[in-house]
Amino acid sequence: MSDRFWQQAFAVARRDLDRERRSGEVFWVTIPFGAIALLLVPLAVGINQDVLTRIGTGMLFVVVMLFGVLTAVRRTSIETPEQRDAIALLGVDPVAEFTGKAAAGAVLLLGFELVMAAVALVLYGLDIGSWGWMLVVLPLTAVGLAELGTISGAIAASTDGGPALVPLLVTPLAIPLLLGATQTVSVERNGGNLAWLVLMTTVVLVLAIIGVATARPLQETR
Amino acid sequence: MSDATRSRLGPLDYAAVVAVLAALGYALASPRIESQGDAARMLFVHVPTIWLAYLAFAVTFIASIAYLVTNKLRWDHVAGASAEIGVVFTTVAIIGGMVWGKATWNVYWTWDARLTLTAIMLFVYVGYLALRRVIADPEVRARRSAVLGIIGLLQLIPVHFSVTWWRTLHQTNTFRPRDIQMDGPILAALLGSVAAFTVVYAALLRHRIRLEKLEHAARAAAAAPVGPVAGDAVTAPNVNRAGGQP
Repeated sequence: MSDRFWQQAFAVARRDLDRERRSGEVFWVTIPFGAIALLLVPLAVGINQDVLTRIGTGMLFVVVMLFGVLTAVRRTSIETPEQRDAIALLGVDPVAEFTGKAAAGAVLLLGFELVMAAVALVLYGLDIGSWGWMLVVLPLTAVGLAELGTISGAIAASTDGGPALVPLLVTPLAIPLLLGATQTVSVERNGGNLAWLVLMTTVVLVLAIIGVATARPLQETR
Repeated sequence: MSDATRSRLGPLDYAAVVAVLAALGYALASPRIESQGDAARMLFVHVPTIWLAYLAFAVTFIASIAYLVTNKLRWDHVAGASAEIGVVFTTVAIIGGMVWGKATWNVYWTWDARLTLTAIMLFVYVGYLALRRVIADPEVRARRSAVLGIIGLLQLIPVHFSVTWWRTLHQTNTFRPRDIQMDGPILAALLGSVAAFTVVYAALLRHRIRLEKLEHAARAAAAAPVGPVAGDAVTAPNVNRAGGQP
Protein backbone atom coordinates (compact mmCIF):
# COMPACT_ATOMS: atom_id res chain seq x y z
CA MET A 1 0.00 0.00 0.00
CA SER A 2 1.45 3.32 -1.10
CA ASP A 3 1.45 6.60 0.81
CA ARG A 4 -1.09 7.89 -1.68
CA PHE A 5 -3.46 5.03 -0.79
CA TRP A 6 -3.33 5.85 2.92
CA GLN A 7 -3.67 9.58 2.24
CA GLN A 8 -6.85 8.92 0.26
CA ALA A 9 -8.22 6.53 2.90
CA PHE A 10 -7.45 9.07 5.63
CA ALA A 11 -9.11 11.87 3.63
CA VAL A 12 -12.28 9.81 3.12
CA ALA A 13 -12.39 8.87 6.82
CA ARG A 14 -11.83 12.48 7.85
CA ARG A 15 -14.60 13.64 5.51
CA ASP A 16 -17.08 11.17 7.07
CA LEU A 17 -16.04 12.10 10.61
CA ASP A 18 -16.24 15.83 9.78
CA ARG A 19 -19.73 15.24 8.45
CA GLU A 20 -20.67 13.61 11.76
CA ARG A 21 -19.00 16.44 13.72
CA ARG A 22 -21.11 18.98 11.85
CA SER A 23 -24.42 17.11 11.91
CA GLY A 24 -23.93 15.16 15.17
CA GLU A 25 -26.38 12.51 14.03
CA VAL A 26 -24.78 9.61 15.87
CA PHE A 27 -24.32 11.69 19.02
CA TRP A 28 -27.66 13.47 19.04
CA VAL A 29 -29.95 10.92 17.38
CA THR A 30 -28.60 7.36 17.35
CA ILE A 31 -27.19 7.33 20.89
CA PRO A 32 -30.35 8.72 22.54
CA PHE A 33 -32.46 6.38 20.41
CA GLY A 34 -30.36 3.39 21.54
CA ALA A 35 -30.60 4.53 25.18
CA ILE A 36 -34.39 4.69 24.86
CA ALA A 37 -34.40 1.12 23.53
CA LEU A 38 -32.36 -0.04 26.55
CA LEU A 39 -34.85 1.75 28.80
CA LEU A 40 -37.86 0.19 27.06
CA VAL A 41 -36.73 -3.44 27.36
CA PRO A 42 -37.18 -3.68 31.16
CA LEU A 43 -40.63 -2.15 30.82
CA ALA A 44 -41.54 -4.87 28.34
CA VAL A 45 -39.97 -7.92 30.01
CA GLY A 46 -40.50 -6.93 33.64
CA ILE A 47 -38.32 -5.13 36.16
CA ASN A 48 -36.61 -8.13 37.71
CA GLN A 49 -33.01 -7.20 38.42
CA ASP A 50 -31.73 -10.78 38.17
CA VAL A 51 -33.32 -11.22 34.75
CA LEU A 52 -32.07 -7.83 33.58
CA THR A 53 -28.53 -8.60 34.73
CA ARG A 54 -28.64 -11.91 32.88
CA ILE A 55 -29.99 -10.51 29.61
CA GLY A 56 -28.11 -7.20 29.79
CA THR A 57 -25.10 -8.19 27.68
CA GLY A 58 -27.30 -9.71 24.98
CA MET A 59 -29.55 -6.65 24.91
CA LEU A 60 -26.52 -4.40 24.66
CA PHE A 61 -25.28 -6.16 21.54
CA VAL A 62 -28.76 -6.39 20.00
CA VAL A 63 -29.15 -2.62 20.41
CA VAL A 64 -25.63 -2.06 19.08
CA MET A 65 -26.41 -4.17 16.02
CA LEU A 66 -29.85 -2.75 15.23
CA PHE A 67 -28.96 0.87 15.89
CA GLY A 68 -25.51 0.57 14.39
CA VAL A 69 -27.33 -0.22 11.14
CA LEU A 70 -28.88 3.26 11.34
CA THR A 71 -25.42 4.74 10.94
CA ALA A 72 -24.86 2.72 7.78
CA VAL A 73 -28.31 3.64 6.44
CA ARG A 74 -27.75 7.31 7.07
CA ARG A 75 -24.37 7.29 5.35
CA THR A 76 -25.96 5.60 2.33
CA SER A 77 -28.77 8.09 1.98
CA ILE A 78 -26.77 11.32 2.40
CA GLU A 79 -24.24 10.57 -0.33
CA THR A 80 -25.67 11.75 -3.63
CA PRO A 81 -24.91 10.07 -6.99
CA GLU A 82 -23.13 13.29 -8.04
CA GLN A 83 -20.83 13.09 -5.02
CA ARG A 84 -20.07 9.45 -5.77
CA ASP A 85 -19.35 10.29 -9.41
CA ALA A 86 -17.06 13.12 -8.36
CA ILE A 87 -15.06 10.80 -6.09
CA ALA A 88 -14.72 8.26 -8.91
CA LEU A 89 -13.69 10.96 -11.41
CA LEU A 90 -11.12 12.34 -8.98
CA GLY A 91 -9.38 9.00 -9.22
CA VAL A 92 -9.86 7.98 -5.60
CA ASP A 93 -8.80 4.35 -5.24
CA PRO A 94 -12.00 2.35 -4.51
CA VAL A 95 -10.13 0.24 -1.94
CA ALA A 96 -8.91 3.39 -0.20
CA GLU A 97 -12.46 4.69 -0.22
CA PHE A 98 -13.74 1.44 1.31
CA THR A 99 -10.98 1.52 3.92
CA GLY A 100 -11.66 5.15 4.81
CA LYS A 101 -15.41 4.72 5.04
CA ALA A 102 -15.11 1.52 7.10
CA ALA A 103 -12.57 3.17 9.42
CA ALA A 104 -14.81 6.20 9.99
CA GLY A 105 -17.81 3.92 10.53
CA ALA A 106 -15.82 1.82 13.02
CA VAL A 107 -14.83 4.92 15.01
CA LEU A 108 -18.45 6.13 15.17
CA LEU A 109 -19.75 2.68 16.08
CA LEU A 110 -17.11 2.21 18.77
CA GLY A 111 -18.16 5.51 20.34
CA PHE A 112 -21.77 4.39 20.15
CA GLU A 113 -20.92 1.02 21.72
CA LEU A 114 -18.99 2.58 24.61
CA VAL A 115 -21.89 4.89 25.49
CA MET A 116 -24.40 2.02 25.19
CA ALA A 117 -22.20 -0.22 27.36
CA ALA A 118 -22.12 2.47 30.05
CA VAL A 119 -25.91 2.92 29.85
CA ALA A 120 -26.48 -0.86 29.97
CA LEU A 121 -24.10 -1.18 32.93
CA VAL A 122 -26.07 1.42 34.87
CA LEU A 123 -29.52 0.14 33.92
CA TYR A 124 -28.96 -3.61 33.92
CA GLY A 125 -25.79 -4.21 35.95
CA LEU A 126 -24.07 -6.29 33.25
CA ASP A 127 -23.01 -9.80 34.18
CA ILE A 128 -19.73 -9.85 32.28
CA GLY A 129 -17.30 -12.74 32.73
CA SER A 130 -14.28 -10.62 31.99
CA TRP A 131 -14.08 -6.96 31.05
CA GLY A 132 -10.82 -7.80 29.28
CA TRP A 133 -12.77 -9.81 26.70
CA MET A 134 -15.22 -6.93 26.40
CA LEU A 135 -12.40 -4.55 25.47
CA VAL A 136 -11.45 -6.87 22.60
CA VAL A 137 -15.00 -7.65 21.49
CA LEU A 138 -16.28 -4.05 21.26
CA PRO A 139 -13.72 -2.87 18.67
CA LEU A 140 -14.09 -6.11 16.70
CA THR A 141 -17.88 -5.69 16.58
CA ALA A 142 -17.48 -2.07 15.53
CA VAL A 143 -15.07 -2.95 12.71
CA GLY A 144 -17.21 -5.87 11.49
CA LEU A 145 -20.42 -3.82 11.49
CA ALA A 146 -18.67 -0.91 9.79
CA GLU A 147 -17.35 -3.21 7.05
CA LEU A 148 -20.80 -4.73 6.54
CA GLY A 149 -22.43 -1.30 6.54
CA THR A 150 -19.94 0.06 4.01
CA ILE A 151 -20.35 -2.89 1.66
CA SER A 152 -24.15 -2.89 1.99
CA GLY A 153 -24.25 0.87 1.54
CA ALA A 154 -22.33 0.54 -1.72
CA ILE A 155 -24.59 -2.31 -2.84
CA ALA A 156 -27.78 -0.36 -2.16
CA ALA A 157 -26.50 3.07 -3.28
CA SER A 158 -28.65 5.00 -5.77
CA THR A 159 -31.43 2.41 -5.72
CA ASP A 160 -35.06 3.30 -5.17
CA GLY A 161 -35.37 1.38 -1.93
CA GLY A 162 -31.74 1.78 -0.82
CA PRO A 163 -32.17 3.17 2.73
CA ALA A 164 -35.00 0.70 3.42
CA LEU A 165 -32.98 -2.19 2.02
CA VAL A 166 -29.75 -1.72 4.01
CA PRO A 167 -31.16 -2.90 7.39
CA LEU A 168 -32.50 -6.04 5.71
CA LEU A 169 -29.08 -6.69 4.18
CA VAL A 170 -26.94 -5.88 7.22
CA THR A 171 -28.91 -7.28 10.14
CA PRO A 172 -29.05 -10.99 9.19
CA LEU A 173 -25.45 -10.91 7.98
CA ALA A 174 -24.30 -9.48 11.31
CA ILE A 175 -25.51 -12.56 13.19
CA PRO A 176 -22.03 -14.19 13.38
CA LEU A 177 -20.77 -10.97 14.98
CA LEU A 178 -23.65 -10.88 17.45
CA LEU A 179 -23.13 -14.53 18.39
CA GLY A 180 -19.38 -14.12 18.70
CA ALA A 181 -19.71 -10.99 20.82
CA THR A 182 -22.33 -12.31 23.24
CA GLN A 183 -20.76 -15.75 23.61
CA THR A 184 -17.25 -14.38 24.13
CA VAL A 185 -18.23 -12.14 27.02
CA SER A 186 -20.90 -14.38 28.55
CA VAL A 187 -20.17 -15.77 31.97
CA GLU A 188 -21.28 -19.31 31.19
CA ARG A 189 -18.67 -19.74 28.51
CA ASN A 190 -15.85 -18.22 30.47
CA GLY A 191 -12.77 -20.23 29.58
CA GLY A 192 -14.04 -21.42 26.22
CA ASN A 193 -14.53 -18.00 24.72
CA LEU A 194 -11.37 -17.94 22.62
CA ALA A 195 -13.11 -20.02 19.93
CA TRP A 196 -15.86 -17.38 19.65
CA LEU A 197 -13.27 -14.67 19.40
CA VAL A 198 -11.62 -16.61 16.59
CA LEU A 199 -15.03 -16.78 14.84
CA MET A 200 -15.49 -13.03 15.17
CA THR A 201 -11.97 -12.29 13.97
CA THR A 202 -12.44 -14.63 11.00
CA VAL A 203 -15.71 -12.91 10.04
CA VAL A 204 -14.08 -9.46 10.32
CA LEU A 205 -11.14 -10.59 8.17
CA VAL A 206 -13.37 -12.27 5.56
CA LEU A 207 -15.51 -9.11 5.34
CA ALA A 208 -12.36 -7.03 4.91
CA ILE A 209 -11.21 -9.31 2.08
CA ILE A 210 -14.65 -9.16 0.42
CA GLY A 211 -14.77 -5.38 0.85
CA VAL A 212 -11.34 -4.93 -0.73
CA ALA A 213 -11.99 -7.45 -3.52
CA THR A 214 -15.36 -5.96 -4.49
CA ALA A 215 -14.60 -2.26 -3.99
CA ARG A 216 -13.67 -1.70 -7.63
CA PRO A 217 -16.61 -3.60 -9.22
CA LEU A 218 -19.01 -1.77 -6.90
CA GLN A 219 -17.51 1.63 -7.71
CA GLU A 220 -17.96 0.93 -11.42
CA THR A 221 -21.71 0.43 -10.99
CA ARG A 222 -22.43 3.81 -9.40
CA MET B 1 -37.45 -18.05 -29.79
CA SER B 2 -34.19 -19.93 -29.14
CA ASP B 3 -33.96 -23.43 -27.75
CA ALA B 4 -32.81 -22.03 -24.45
CA THR B 5 -35.99 -20.03 -23.97
CA ARG B 6 -38.49 -22.62 -25.15
CA SER B 7 -40.87 -23.71 -22.41
CA ARG B 8 -41.46 -27.34 -23.31
CA LEU B 9 -40.67 -30.02 -20.79
CA GLY B 10 -37.42 -31.90 -21.24
CA PRO B 11 -36.07 -35.27 -20.12
CA LEU B 12 -34.76 -33.66 -16.93
CA ASP B 13 -38.29 -32.67 -15.89
CA TYR B 14 -39.65 -36.18 -16.44
CA ALA B 15 -36.63 -37.61 -14.62
CA ALA B 16 -37.32 -35.27 -11.68
CA VAL B 17 -40.96 -36.35 -11.39
CA VAL B 18 -40.09 -40.05 -11.65
CA ALA B 19 -37.20 -39.73 -9.19
CA VAL B 20 -39.28 -37.94 -6.57
CA LEU B 21 -42.18 -40.38 -6.88
CA ALA B 22 -39.81 -43.34 -6.61
CA ALA B 23 -37.92 -41.85 -3.67
CA LEU B 24 -41.06 -40.96 -1.75
CA GLY B 25 -42.57 -44.38 -2.48
CA TYR B 26 -39.43 -46.07 -1.19
CA ALA B 27 -39.41 -43.77 1.84
CA LEU B 28 -43.01 -44.67 2.69
CA ALA B 29 -42.21 -48.36 2.34
CA SER B 30 -39.04 -48.14 4.45
CA PRO B 31 -39.08 -49.57 7.99
CA ARG B 32 -40.76 -47.51 10.71
CA ILE B 33 -38.47 -45.68 13.13
CA GLU B 34 -39.81 -46.98 16.45
CA SER B 35 -38.59 -44.10 18.61
CA GLN B 36 -40.39 -41.40 16.56
CA GLY B 37 -43.19 -43.22 14.75
CA ASP B 38 -44.39 -42.31 11.29
CA ALA B 39 -43.65 -38.63 11.85
CA ALA B 40 -40.01 -39.51 11.32
CA ARG B 41 -40.80 -40.08 7.64
CA MET B 42 -40.67 -36.29 7.39
CA LEU B 43 -36.95 -36.95 7.41
CA PHE B 44 -37.16 -38.00 3.77
CA VAL B 45 -38.45 -34.56 2.77
CA HIS B 46 -36.94 -32.33 5.42
CA VAL B 47 -33.29 -33.38 4.97
CA PRO B 48 -33.36 -33.19 1.14
CA THR B 49 -35.02 -29.75 1.16
CA ILE B 50 -32.45 -28.25 3.51
CA TRP B 51 -29.68 -29.94 1.52
CA LEU B 52 -31.09 -28.30 -1.60
CA ALA B 53 -31.17 -24.94 0.15
CA TYR B 54 -27.45 -25.32 0.96
CA LEU B 55 -26.73 -26.45 -2.58
CA ALA B 56 -28.73 -23.60 -4.12
CA PHE B 57 -26.97 -20.96 -2.03
CA ALA B 58 -23.58 -22.53 -2.75
CA VAL B 59 -24.39 -22.36 -6.48
CA THR B 60 -25.37 -18.69 -6.03
CA PHE B 61 -21.99 -18.11 -4.36
CA ILE B 62 -20.03 -19.81 -7.14
CA ALA B 63 -22.05 -18.15 -9.91
CA SER B 64 -21.57 -14.75 -8.23
CA ILE B 65 -17.80 -15.19 -8.24
CA ALA B 66 -17.98 -16.40 -11.84
CA TYR B 67 -19.92 -13.27 -12.82
CA LEU B 68 -17.44 -10.91 -11.17
CA VAL B 69 -14.57 -12.71 -12.90
CA THR B 70 -16.11 -13.06 -16.38
CA ASN B 71 -18.73 -10.26 -16.51
CA LYS B 72 -21.05 -12.65 -18.36
CA LEU B 73 -24.72 -12.13 -17.55
CA ARG B 74 -25.50 -15.83 -17.81
CA TRP B 75 -23.75 -16.31 -14.44
CA ASP B 76 -26.00 -13.65 -12.94
CA HIS B 77 -29.01 -15.55 -14.27
CA VAL B 78 -27.73 -18.73 -12.62
CA ALA B 79 -27.06 -16.92 -9.31
CA GLY B 80 -30.48 -15.26 -9.21
CA ALA B 81 -32.35 -18.39 -10.26
CA SER B 82 -30.54 -20.56 -7.72
CA ALA B 83 -31.13 -18.10 -4.87
CA GLU B 84 -34.83 -18.04 -5.64
CA ILE B 85 -35.04 -21.84 -5.55
CA GLY B 86 -32.97 -21.81 -2.36
CA VAL B 87 -35.43 -19.45 -0.68
CA VAL B 88 -38.35 -21.68 -1.67
CA PHE B 89 -36.65 -24.82 -0.37
CA THR B 90 -35.51 -23.12 2.85
CA THR B 91 -39.12 -22.11 3.48
CA VAL B 92 -40.28 -25.67 2.79
CA ALA B 93 -37.56 -27.03 5.09
CA ILE B 94 -38.58 -24.68 7.91
CA ILE B 95 -42.29 -25.50 7.54
CA GLY B 96 -41.53 -29.22 7.30
CA GLY B 97 -39.30 -28.94 10.36
CA MET B 98 -42.08 -27.20 12.27
CA VAL B 99 -44.55 -29.96 11.43
CA TRP B 100 -42.00 -32.57 12.50
CA GLY B 101 -41.26 -30.53 15.64
CA LYS B 102 -44.93 -30.51 16.58
CA ALA B 103 -45.03 -34.30 16.31
CA THR B 104 -41.79 -34.94 18.24
CA TRP B 105 -41.32 -31.96 20.59
CA ASN B 106 -45.01 -30.95 20.77
CA VAL B 107 -44.25 -27.39 19.66
CA TYR B 108 -44.12 -25.84 16.20
CA TRP B 109 -41.28 -23.53 17.10
CA THR B 110 -38.59 -23.70 19.71
CA TRP B 111 -35.61 -21.42 20.17
CA ASP B 112 -33.26 -24.01 18.86
CA ALA B 113 -30.03 -22.69 17.33
CA ARG B 114 -30.46 -24.53 14.02
CA LEU B 115 -34.06 -23.38 13.56
CA THR B 116 -33.35 -19.78 14.43
CA LEU B 117 -30.24 -19.50 12.28
CA THR B 118 -31.96 -21.19 9.34
CA ALA B 119 -34.77 -18.62 9.57
CA ILE B 120 -32.16 -15.85 9.61
CA MET B 121 -30.42 -17.41 6.59
CA LEU B 122 -33.76 -17.25 4.79
CA PHE B 123 -33.90 -13.50 5.40
CA VAL B 124 -30.37 -13.02 4.04
CA TYR B 125 -31.51 -14.40 0.70
CA VAL B 126 -34.89 -12.63 0.85
CA GLY B 127 -32.75 -9.47 1.07
CA TYR B 128 -30.74 -10.72 -1.92
CA LEU B 129 -33.93 -11.18 -3.96
CA ALA B 130 -35.25 -7.79 -2.79
CA LEU B 131 -32.02 -6.18 -3.98
CA ARG B 132 -32.43 -7.78 -7.40
CA ARG B 133 -35.91 -6.30 -7.68
CA VAL B 134 -34.99 -2.69 -6.89
CA ILE B 135 -32.20 -2.35 -9.47
CA ALA B 136 -33.39 -2.04 -13.06
CA ASP B 137 -30.07 -1.91 -14.90
CA PRO B 138 -29.00 -5.54 -15.56
CA GLU B 139 -25.25 -4.87 -15.29
CA VAL B 140 -25.56 -2.92 -12.03
CA ARG B 141 -27.95 -5.46 -10.60
CA ALA B 142 -25.68 -8.34 -11.57
CA ARG B 143 -22.58 -6.80 -10.05
CA ARG B 144 -24.15 -5.69 -6.79
CA SER B 145 -26.11 -8.86 -6.21
CA ALA B 146 -22.94 -10.86 -6.97
CA VAL B 147 -21.23 -9.16 -4.03
CA LEU B 148 -24.18 -9.95 -1.78
CA GLY B 149 -24.28 -13.52 -3.09
CA ILE B 150 -20.68 -13.94 -1.95
CA ILE B 151 -21.23 -12.42 1.52
CA GLY B 152 -24.41 -14.45 1.97
CA LEU B 153 -22.46 -17.67 2.18
CA LEU B 154 -20.97 -16.46 5.48
CA GLN B 155 -24.35 -17.22 6.99
CA LEU B 156 -24.17 -20.89 6.04
CA ILE B 157 -21.24 -21.45 8.42
CA PRO B 158 -23.09 -20.80 11.70
CA VAL B 159 -26.19 -22.56 10.33
CA HIS B 160 -24.31 -25.73 9.50
CA PHE B 161 -22.24 -25.85 12.69
CA SER B 162 -25.01 -24.66 15.00
CA VAL B 163 -25.90 -28.21 16.08
CA THR B 164 -22.29 -28.77 17.11
CA TRP B 165 -21.70 -25.39 18.75
CA TRP B 166 -24.91 -25.50 20.78
CA ARG B 167 -26.16 -28.95 21.74
CA THR B 168 -29.84 -27.97 21.72
CA LEU B 169 -32.99 -29.85 20.68
CA HIS B 170 -32.15 -30.29 17.02
CA GLN B 171 -30.30 -33.49 16.26
CA THR B 172 -26.70 -33.27 15.10
CA ASN B 173 -25.87 -33.42 11.37
CA THR B 174 -27.60 -36.36 9.71
CA PHE B 175 -24.71 -37.23 7.41
CA ARG B 176 -21.53 -37.90 9.33
CA PRO B 177 -19.38 -40.16 7.14
CA ARG B 178 -17.41 -41.64 10.07
CA ASP B 179 -20.37 -42.10 12.38
CA ILE B 180 -23.50 -43.22 10.53
CA GLN B 181 -26.14 -44.25 13.07
CA MET B 182 -28.90 -45.28 10.70
CA ASP B 183 -30.23 -48.63 9.51
CA GLY B 184 -29.30 -49.57 5.95
CA PRO B 185 -32.80 -49.34 4.38
CA ILE B 186 -33.54 -45.99 6.03
CA LEU B 187 -30.17 -44.62 4.97
CA ALA B 188 -30.77 -45.85 1.42
CA ALA B 189 -34.22 -44.20 1.33
CA LEU B 190 -32.77 -40.97 2.65
CA LEU B 191 -29.92 -40.92 0.13
CA GLY B 192 -32.43 -41.73 -2.62
CA SER B 193 -34.59 -38.77 -1.56
CA VAL B 194 -31.60 -36.46 -1.52
CA ALA B 195 -30.63 -37.61 -5.04
CA ALA B 196 -34.22 -37.26 -6.31
CA PHE B 197 -34.64 -33.76 -4.90
CA THR B 198 -31.30 -32.77 -6.43
CA VAL B 199 -32.69 -33.73 -9.84
CA VAL B 200 -35.74 -31.56 -9.03
CA TYR B 201 -33.38 -28.69 -8.24
CA ALA B 202 -31.57 -29.14 -11.57
CA ALA B 203 -34.89 -29.13 -13.46
CA LEU B 204 -36.18 -26.05 -11.63
CA LEU B 205 -32.88 -24.26 -12.12
CA ARG B 206 -33.02 -24.89 -15.85
CA HIS B 207 -36.53 -23.43 -16.10
CA ARG B 208 -35.76 -20.47 -13.82
CA ILE B 209 -32.67 -19.58 -15.85
CA ARG B 210 -34.81 -19.69 -18.99
CA LEU B 211 -37.28 -17.28 -17.35
CA GLU B 212 -34.43 -14.98 -16.27
CA LYS B 213 -33.26 -14.87 -19.88
CA LEU B 214 -36.79 -14.09 -21.08
CA GLU B 215 -37.17 -11.34 -18.48
CA HIS B 216 -33.83 -9.90 -19.53
CA ALA B 217 -34.85 -9.96 -23.21
CA ALA B 218 -38.22 -8.35 -22.38
CA ARG B 219 -36.55 -5.56 -20.40
CA ALA B 220 -34.02 -4.98 -23.17
CA ALA B 221 -36.84 -4.80 -25.72
CA ALA B 222 -38.78 -2.35 -23.55
CA ALA B 223 -35.71 -0.15 -23.11
CA ALA B 224 -34.79 -0.14 -26.80
CA PRO B 225 -35.47 3.10 -28.70
CA VAL B 226 -38.78 3.01 -30.55
CA GLY B 227 -39.18 3.91 -34.22
CA PRO B 228 -40.85 7.08 -35.53
CA VAL B 229 -44.30 7.63 -34.05
CA ALA B 230 -47.36 9.35 -35.51
CA GLY B 231 -47.07 13.11 -35.20
CA ASP B 232 -43.27 13.22 -35.45
CA ALA B 233 -43.55 15.13 -38.75
CA VAL B 234 -45.62 17.89 -37.17
CA THR B 235 -43.50 20.71 -35.78
CA ALA B 236 -44.54 23.41 -33.36
CA PRO B 237 -45.35 26.79 -34.92
CA ASN B 238 -42.46 29.21 -34.74
CA VAL B 239 -43.79 32.07 -32.68
CA ASN B 240 -41.37 34.92 -32.10
CA ARG B 241 -42.69 36.26 -28.83
CA ALA B 242 -39.71 38.55 -28.24
CA GLY B 243 -40.60 40.76 -31.17
CA GLY B 244 -44.34 40.46 -30.71
CA GLN B 245 -44.69 39.26 -34.33
CA PRO B 246 -45.89 35.79 -35.38
